[in-house]
Amino acid sequence: MFLEQLTGNLIQGIVLGAVYGMATMGLSLIFGVLKVVNVGHGAFIMVGAFVTLWLFNALGINPILAVPVAFAVGMGLGFIFYYTTMQRLIKAPELATLLATFSIGILLEELVKLTFGSEFRGYNWVVGKIDIGVTVLPMSKLYACIGSVIIALLLYLWFNKTRAGSAVRSVVEDSEGARVCGVNVGGAYALSFALGIGLTVASGVLLTMFIPVGINPYMGGGYTLKAFVIAVLGGLSSPYGAFFGGLAFGLIENGSYTLFALIPGVEPFALTRFLSFVMLLAILLIKPTGLLSTK
Amino acid sequence: MLTVKELESGYGPMQVLWKPSLQVKKGTITALLGPNGVGKSTFLSTVFGSVEPWGGTIHYVGEDVTNLPTHKKVEMGVALVPEGKHLFPNMNVYENLAMGAYVKKALEHKDESMEIVYSLFPRLKERQKQLAGSLSGGEQQMVTIARALMTKPKLMMLDEPSQGLAPVLVQSVFETIQKMRDEIGLTILLVEQNADAALNAAGYVYIMHEGLIKAEGKPEKIKGSSEIREAYLGI
Repeated sequence: MFLEQLTGNLIQGIVLGAVYGMATMGLSLIFGVLKVVNVGHGAFIMVGAFVTLWLFNALGINPILAVPVAFAVGMGLGFIFYYTTMQRLIKAPELATLLATFSIGILLEELVKLTFGSEFRGYNWVVGKIDIGVTVLPMSKLYACIGSVIIALLLYLWFNKTRAGSAVRSVVEDSEGARVCGVNVGGAYALSFALGIGLTVASGVLLTMFIPVGINPYMGGGYTLKAFVIAVLGGLSSPYGAFFGGLAFGLIENGSYTLFALIPGVEPFALTRFLSFVMLLAILLIKPTGLLSTK
Repeated sequence: MLTVKELESGYGPMQVLWKPSLQVKKGTITALLGPNGVGKSTFLSTVFGSVEPWGGTIHYVGEDVTNLPTHKKVEMGVALVPEGKHLFPNMNVYENLAMGAYVKKALEHKDESMEIVYSLFPRLKERQKQLAGSLSGGEQQMVTIARALMTKPKLMMLDEPSQGLAPVLVQSVFETIQKMRDEIGLTILLVEQNADAALNAAGYVYIMHEGLIKAEGKPEKIKGSSEIREAYLGI
């Protein structure tokens, strides 16, 4: 009985973890290329959630189709914020980029609040569920998981098989070296930032497919924190590391839930959150370059 | 081929270049010499475009390229071998060289350039699967020069190519530079602190001090003037 429950929870954990991982890839990409920590990460996830909500409730568009729309919106926002703000700050001290991304996050939250209001919203996408014996998976969660894996694979292919991808990789390795090879380094920064934001906004869609309720302008904060834990797990500067970090995080969150539930008088959900941050501290103490990084 | 007039640039509020002028003729090796910290590297970086010029003009093959971005210059055939190598440490030797053929024109000649590079540096062919970060200092310098060759340049600018190398290797770097001019037909602009080696290889020499050109001439003239040698080169 216990084992069955644990297996079921771990499967749920993998499904959730893939989405967590995908939701962190944008953060890691931006950090890896620009060495900028996007403190406004969660706000971009929130934008993705509102894109989904609006497309579904106002136009009746399927959340799966909202993924490319959100990605395009994110790319657009990314280019706008890069050229208006980040470009001037690349060479500035770290505090400047932290404050800038923090402000961008607040700006987005308040803009969405002005437009849509601050109440909690949700949508109701009926696609059924699938019973796999040990647990029951809603199809929407399964789609979110598959979507995350596909996006991670596409990013991998883009990085390794395209000319633009190789330019970005060379900038990550040595921007001066990339410059002497004729790479437009400024352009690679802009593209990476836009791509990172595009991925993040798209991940907002996938996360609402997981939890289609509680959508509000301030929903991003919790995701920012989780993304930091996952990014550190995965080695901070690698988007693939982030993806596997997300898987690990999903497994630990769900696995520990089952274990904590065995302790009488304990509220397991609160403890799983506590555990995440114990993990973050432990990793930073033991292996600050990230648990899954090779460096 | 390259004509620089009254170039000015610097970092932040600090001006480094105070209007030096310099000319590089096609098919020659021109050396810019002087002690550490007089603006030689800044000069190359400004000509290449990674440091923004504040004033003056840069003409390359007759065109005004003063404010052209670096990637446009690479496409026009200007290559820079930067100081401190700047290789891609987690890519292997082959991938590093392939990155050199990034601009469209270089990409069209990638296989051909690769053959030239491997005949010039047979060692790199043996090491092509090895990560650049794991090579010795001399081999890394070979990769840096080879990667610049992959961009299919007409003008190659080298920033302190002999820095940190053992005397034997310094000699082979200069032999390579002469080979690139004679066999590939490159024009070369060289910045060096190692005045002895550079004076033997170059056809024309400029001496820089405090962001200015203090002397210029054929290497025989520089070697013959004890005043110049003692004041600026310490040899």
